[in-house]
Amino acid sequence: MIRYLKYIIILAVLTVLAIVGWHFYRCFKSQEEIEVLPSRPGEVKEMVRLCSMEIYNEVPVLDTVNYKVIFAVQKQTGSISFDLEHIDIDDSGDTIRIQLPREIVELYESPEKNAWQVIDSKAIGPMSLFRKGTLTLEEENRVKSKLKARSISRLYSNGTVRQARKDAAENLASMMENVYRRPVIVSDPTPDGKSN
Amino acid sequence: MTKFTSLSILLVISLLFACSKKPAPDHTQLYEEIRHVNRMEFASLAVTKTVKTERTDWYKVGKRIAVYSYDTYLKAFIDMNLLAPEDLKFDEASKTVHITLPPVSIEIAGRDMEMKKEYENIGIFRTEISPQERAKMKEKANAELKKELEGNPEYKQRLNQTARQKARSYFNTLLQNTGYTPVIHFSDETVFSGDFNLKNYD
Repeated sequence: MIRYLKYIIILAVLTVLAIVGWHFYRCFKSQEEIEVLPSRPGEVKEMVRLCSMEIYNEVPVLDTVNYKVIFAVQKQTGSISFDLEHIDIDDSGDTIRIQLPREIVELYESPEKNAWQVIDSKAIGPMSLFRKGTLTLEEENRVKSKLKARSISRLYSNGTVRQARKDAAENLASMMENVYRRPVIVSDPTPDGKSN
Repeated sequence: MTKFTSLSILLVISLLFACSKKPAPDHTQLYEEIRHVNRMEFASLAVTKTVKTERTDWYKVGKRIAVYSYDTYLKAFIDMNLLAPEDLKFDEASKTVHITLPPVSIEIAGRDMEMKKEYENIGIFRTEISPQERAKMKEKANAELKKELEGNPEYKQRLNQTARQKARSYFNTLLQNTGYTPVIHFSDETVFSGDFNLKNYD
């Protein structure tokens, strides 16, 4: 009986130690606090833009910056619009003539949940075992900036901008015909658009 | 001879198939949606959100604080597909034109991709803020912003008011050029409009 009692005491002590250790860990474990400060609205900007296309993309990104690789998925929203405030309308003849202005391509990160999901990042190249693969904010911003440029360039190459210009010309002609009650011709000097 | 010819044809066919190249799958996009719209945007508002992270570890030396910010953009627009030809009524006798514009809608257009560094203090014994942590911070800030927008009518009112003024001014100038005196109304003039278009974002 005394032999068994020894084991029971050891087991009880171990159990107590485990409980105390777990409580100790819970109390002092790493505490991360994310605090969101109240919003700061800017000035309301006035504009007159005709928007003919809305874009929604989900794009994977695998990029390397400073010997660090990142793999992420981004949800993007955007639009293609045209500034109508500064267009010239020639209404001197029987037909109204308007020239379609240059397109404004806007691309943002979507306001949806998980619009920027970072799957992994790692160090590569010389001494990669001894370096951390964590991207700094500046490096991450560079990756996002390149991704934005690529996505905009794709809108030009896959004909989205061309279609947006065509739709805008039709919509503008239709609206102006209702206003002027005369035939309207909207000419497009750059049907494929003009990227930077 | 026949055997040789058959073998040669077989060889040529095999070589042709061996050389055929499958079109490379496009991995540049996971999903893409293009929506044709016809709307006029009259106002936009940038809202800055600032988020702070501070992780304290009892067994670690040094601080780990980072404060970042980014802008979210709201837009006020009129859906021109809702403007029917009968919404423009020309009165030849009085040389006036009555136009009834569709209501102003407000939506969240999107947010900045990049974040701005407002402050960072990371001790030499502490780890850098990871991209995953920054993504988490942005998510939390985004959720808070949506709550603020739903609970605070100020943003809607400011955008709605500016968009209406701008729309009136634009159509006033445009219609005056036709030689008529414009009278501009909104179809929801007596009812406050401009609910946030958040239906797809939750």
